[in-house]
Amino acid sequence: MAVYYKIIKDHYIDSLETLAQTTKLCDQPGIETGYVGMATQTFKDIVSEIGLACDQILAASEGDYVVAAKADTEEAFEKALKAISESASGASSKTRQTYLTVEQAASARPQANLCQISVPGEFALDVAKRALNAGMHLCVFSNNVPLEDEREMKELAREKGLLCMGPDCGVANINGSALVLSSIVNRGPFGIIGASGTGIQHVTAMLHEAGSGVSQAIGAGGNDIKEQVGGITMLMGIDALEEDPETKYLILIARKPAPSVLEKMLERLRSCRKPRVVYFMGCDRKAIEDTGSIYAGNLDECGERALELAGLACSLESEEEILALARKEAEGFAREQKYLRGAYSGGTYMDEAMRVMVDKIGPIWSNAPLEEAWRLEDSLKPRENACIDYGEEEFTLGRPHPAIDAGIRRPAILKEAADPEVAVITLDFILTPPGHPDPAGFVVPDIIKAQEMARERGGKLVFIASLLGTTADYQDIRLQEKKLRDAGAIVCRTNYRAALLASEIIRLIREKA
Amino acid sequence: MEKKTEKILDLFRSELIVVNVGPKSFADVLEKQGFETLQVDYKPAAGGDRRMMEMLEYLGGY
Repeated sequence: MAVYYKIIKDHYIDSLETLAQTTKLCDQPGIETGYVGMATQTFKDIVSEIGLACDQILAASEGDYVVAAKADTEEAFEKALKAISESASGASSKTRQTYLTVEQAASARPQANLCQISVPGEFALDVAKRALNAGMHLCVFSNNVPLEDEREMKELAREKGLLCMGPDCGVANINGSALVLSSIVNRGPFGIIGASGTGIQHVTAMLHEAGSGVSQAIGAGGNDIKEQVGGITMLMGIDALEEDPETKYLILIARKPAPSVLEKMLERLRSCRKPRVVYFMGCDRKAIEDTGSIYAGNLDECGERALELAGLACSLESEEEILALARKEAEGFAREQKYLRGAYSGGTYMDEAMRVMVDKIGPIWSNAPLEEAWRLEDSLKPRENACIDYGEEEFTLGRPHPAIDAGIRRPAILKEAADPEVAVITLDFILTPPGHPDPAGFVVPDIIKAQEMARERGGKLVFIASLLGTTADYQDIRLQEKKLRDAGAIVCRTNYRAALLASEIIRLIREKA
Repeated sequence: MEKKTEKILDLFRSELIVVNVGPKSFADVLEKQGFETLQVDYKPAAGGDRRMMEMLEYLGGY
């Protein structure tokens, strides 16, 4: 076993592509570990940490592309290199024409009608204006876009009658497509307008799973409902979907809008002619119901209420079923096992889970806590009942989000399992077309090993997982669920239910003690 | 006068054709779903590690 590397000078490959190549490289026979990337300082730090650094890599410049691996033989490394280069050329359409500017692309294909923008935040406005001036609607995934830039691009879009989804729009389904990080879902009668990516994906997946689907899902971006932006996209989305003949029902999802924006939305909802379900997190029930809309108090309820409008139902576990399962699972722990640990890849889901848990078992320590007093000093040293969001910047600096890069969260499983006081570990899995091809399978060996470690100590470790995705996603949610169940994990239908089960088990352990 | 929702409804009625500015993988998955894409190659300015970091940083914003 030795370290091999290949450096190509001045060869730029974007971070999603290098990540896909890293996954492919590590899967090749004779490769123990490997890493692919542009030779930035972050890349050099990572290869040093995993024992792949050498003088040549450390001396490479930021414009250089590097493949490094610990391999059985040079031949195995060469074969692996061939495999990743074949997969790269296969993944990117060979015939796709590339252009230097938005204007060039627009004049080459005047029918192009949507521009998907994922550039650093400070450059997003410039690209957005070019696309709007070329007559295209926008889906802006870039985040860290200054609010004044967001306002400007949305005002220009409104003036031109074009839709501006985002900035920070990770989830949108237009004309049956799954843009950016959305799940692939069936088409159907529900039009969704949301300012929460996970929220939209959660509800679209529920609709799909119940045999229905979406006409259009419009992602407004989390900042749309702030005072400075004024809900421009949310309001335009309501106008458009109200006119759209394919949309029979509306669903609105957002964190609580700023007061002036909420007022505008409630006023608009009062005159809305289509049946609608509204989930504004933390918003007063009466205010929503007074507009003639159906109120939802959480994401699961939002999906359930919407399906009821169409005479459909989804099969979520009842609270009684979860409590019964908790009683069964609360047996067999070692005396010192009394805490839960959550390792989350999505901030929205962790937040939802902690709100459920805190009601049952009190404070939840975290790197993004519900209350400042519960903030962990060191995210790598969780204490008592704790949840960690692996999508926070401290983990993602220089790497894509854990919904795409499953490797970010993986070490957490065995680390938490090594703590003899831990009884329950919760994990969320988010399926997305550009994401890891097998996020559940990727961590199964660790889940099995973690349970063995607990058994050797005379106890047991309960893994509770929830998955966000659909049967149409390339990873196939049923297949992913099966892998986790086969490894001994409990799979709940939703994140809310997983959190309820986990915290009820801990509550019962505490009660017995 | 053109209705203010007309262009958006046009989009809903038309074949979706996407100009992708940023990582090619986002265009690849759209093509895999059967949609036409055009790629605009966005390259970070030469020699700026800060920009490379920002390029990666946007991926953290899911």
